[in-house]
Amino acid sequence: MSDDRIDPMNLTAQLHYNAAGNPPSTLPESAISNAYPGLEFDIRNIWRRLLVGIELHESDNYVVSADRGHENLVGRRLLSVGDHDVIGTVVGPIRPGAGSAPLTSAANPDGVMMLEWSNSLADVLADHVGQTVPCLFTVDPAPNPVGKPEELPDPRFQVVELEVRPLFAGSAATGGYLPVIAEELAGPGDLTRGLCSPWQNDYRECACYYWAASRPDYVNVEDTAMGTTTGNHWFAVHREPREYVLDDRFDSRLVSYDDLFQDWQGKLRFIVGGNDAPEHLDAGTEPKGDSR
Amino acid sequence: MTAGRLFEASAPVHPDVHLLHTDAGPRVLIADGSRLFGVGQALFDRIDAARRDPDPRVMDALLVDVGLDAPRQIDDLAPDPPPVRALSLAVAQKCNLGCTYCYAQQGDFGGPAKNMPEPTAFAAVDTLFRDAAPGERVNLAFLGGEPMINRPVVRAATEYALTVSERTGVPVTFSITTNGTLLTPEDGEFFEAHGFAVTVSLDGIGARHDLLRPHRDGRGSYRRVMDRVAPLLAMQRRMQVSARVTVTPLNLDLPRTLDEFTAAGFHGVGFSPMLSSPTGQGEMASADLQVMLDQMTECGEEFVRRVLAGQRYPFTNLVTALREIHRGTHRPYPCGAGAGYLGVSADGDLAACHRFVGDEDGAMGDLTGGVDDAKRARWLTDRHVHRQEPCNGCWARYLCGGGCHHEVIRRGRPACDYIRGWLHHCLSVYSRLLAARPDYFTG
Ligand code: SF4
Ligand code: SF4
Repeated sequence: MSDDRIDPMNLTAQLHYNAAGNPPSTLPESAISNAYPGLEFDIRNIWRRLLVGIELHESDNYVVSADRGHENLVGRRLLSVGDHDVIGTVVGPIRPGAGSAPLTSAANPDGVMMLEWSNSLADVLADHVGQTVPCLFTVDPAPNPVGKPEELPDPRFQVVELEVRPLFAGSAATGGYLPVIAEELAGPGDLTRGLCSPWQNDYRECACYYWAASRPDYVNVEDTAMGTTTGNHWFAVHREPREYVLDDRFDSRLVSYDDLFQDWQGKLRFIVGGNDAPEHLDAGTEPKGDSR
Repeated sequence: MTAGRLFEASAPVHPDVHLLHTDAGPRVLIADGSRLFGVGQALFDRIDAARRDPDPRVMDALLVDVGLDAPRQIDDLAPDPPPVRALSLAVAQKCNLGCTYCYAQQGDFGGPAKNMPEPTAFAAVDTLFRDAAPGERVNLAFLGGEPMINRPVVRAATEYALTVSERTGVPVTFSITTNGTLLTPEDGEFFEAHGFAVTVSLDGIGARHDLLRPHRDGRGSYRRVMDRVAPLLAMQRRMQVSARVTVTPLNLDLPRTLDEFTAAGFHGVGFSPMLSSPTGQGEMASADLQVMLDQMTECGEEFVRRVLAGQRYPFTNLVTALREIHRGTHRPYPCGAGAGYLGVSADGDLAACHRFVGDEDGAMGDLTGGVDDAKRARWLTDRHVHRQEPCNGCWARYLCGGGCHHEVIRRGRPACDYIRGWLHHCLSVYSRLLAARPDYFTG
């Protein structure tokens, strides 16, 4: 070992070690929800293969692929595992001051949303690891969210028995589980799939107010007489018209991934107190380079 | 390394940092969080200098500088008393043997001999399950005296616990510590059916055991124990039958004992030094502990040879130590006594553990009035390792926890050199095995 190297050996040492050159955000205790900003892995990926035979999307209750024998489940939606629902109904006000109501839309007529796997599947793991449990699926492929039926059986839904994999690897030498994620759940590269490289990917990906990163979202906000607001998405290429363009990577009104890869310093603006910094007010798409 | 050199190498220098030279290179143990690092020689030397610097800020600054600092894992505050998840029942406060050093004073804890009545055992089971939520696990242990003297209550309490477990959805595991003389094949079947962890007290081979663990009339008990344990060893699948060896100056013959019991088929063999007996008989002095440490490391070397060859060698002390070091176990107590683990006397009095039965020092309420949480809280405050001398200056405090409360209260801390020497050895073995057989730890 070279003289300046430090090699964290046991698990607590690994867990708390801040390697030279890494920012403090690489430590697990700085995790934000499911993500570790400095560690660059997305823990949601460990849930994809919790159920033997199928692979789920990391952020949707949607079957993306399946082993032989379960091919018919691809494209369908998983609604519950054992006694645990993996979706919840979404309720809330539609306008400021209004009461809570189911939030339905044309694309989501049942007004439901998948629960993050770390929330919905943790109890499944605790209660059923190694066991086969009844899993409720839609009978047909379902590109859009689907709610649970009032009663079962229902011809639009089907129960399939699937086994719950252990999250942790077993030790051949000592027996029992190891504090290591099982390879069947996450093979090499699985935990980092879909992550930012370069960083602009994640920066652009988490485009809404959810993301806890230190960057703005809805800017230049003004109240209107109707009790609503106007303003811009920070990623809006132009500030007029004043509207919040919902994130869509194909919408040319928003700064694209390519824009960020090639010229992030040219495309992004300083925001001060929630508003574009004054020298950028009149700027078009190409603010002066010396102004920041 | 010889025990003498281990004593030296493991002597306390700095409360937060310990340094080791191992076959696999220089190592640093940061006490808080039990974090072990491999380092280069230059950094090792810098840390060693900081360790000896009278200004404590020098070490703090160095650790921050090289990135070895971390948020404190253990502070001075005692935790709130946790829910009780393990009880040991002194089902028989009497014994058919007359072991010279017995903490229970030949089984009766210095009082009248008695059996625990069935209703008391059932009330203990109810207490054990009372606050357990589904998903938690509880353990019911039977000790004594010799618990098999009260076989009907062992069986009835086990079956009752299973009924309650079924009703509440809280899984229960069972254990029993016995002298082995009364075991029958039917007992074996019962223990196997319920997955008992069976610990048999065996203090050596043949005559050595007989010397320490005679019948009350002076006859030896070794042959009888081995004959009675044999069917259990043969039938163990779910059940695990282990040997526990109490080491006194009269049975310092660890490597041979370990080999013999391994060959006999014990699932595990553990050694613990006799540090405090009611009469003082059999207690280990410092020279004895040095011999014991030499023998423990000899057993450890054999363990390493076997593991490198891919074989199992059930040297429990080292298996447990390696597991804890790998996890980085760190705790301000030596055990769960007075916290999540309590002992129950035949009369239904609660005590900090099986050894404190009938002892005012460890009284924790009774089954009728319930667990005395005020007493548990005071115990956890008083027994916190930060409050123990000289533990608060000792690098081993979060691995050792300050030593068995019962022994410390009765005799003090005569074995610290031994404890630190053994931990130092275990840390070296860990470093070697992690390099040579990482699969032992990672699958
Ligand atoms: S009892 Fe344990 S922690 Fe306390 S000084 Fe001795 S070895 Fe260190
Ligand atoms: S106090 Fe001593 S005898 Fe009691 S449980 Fe703890 S270590 Fe064991």
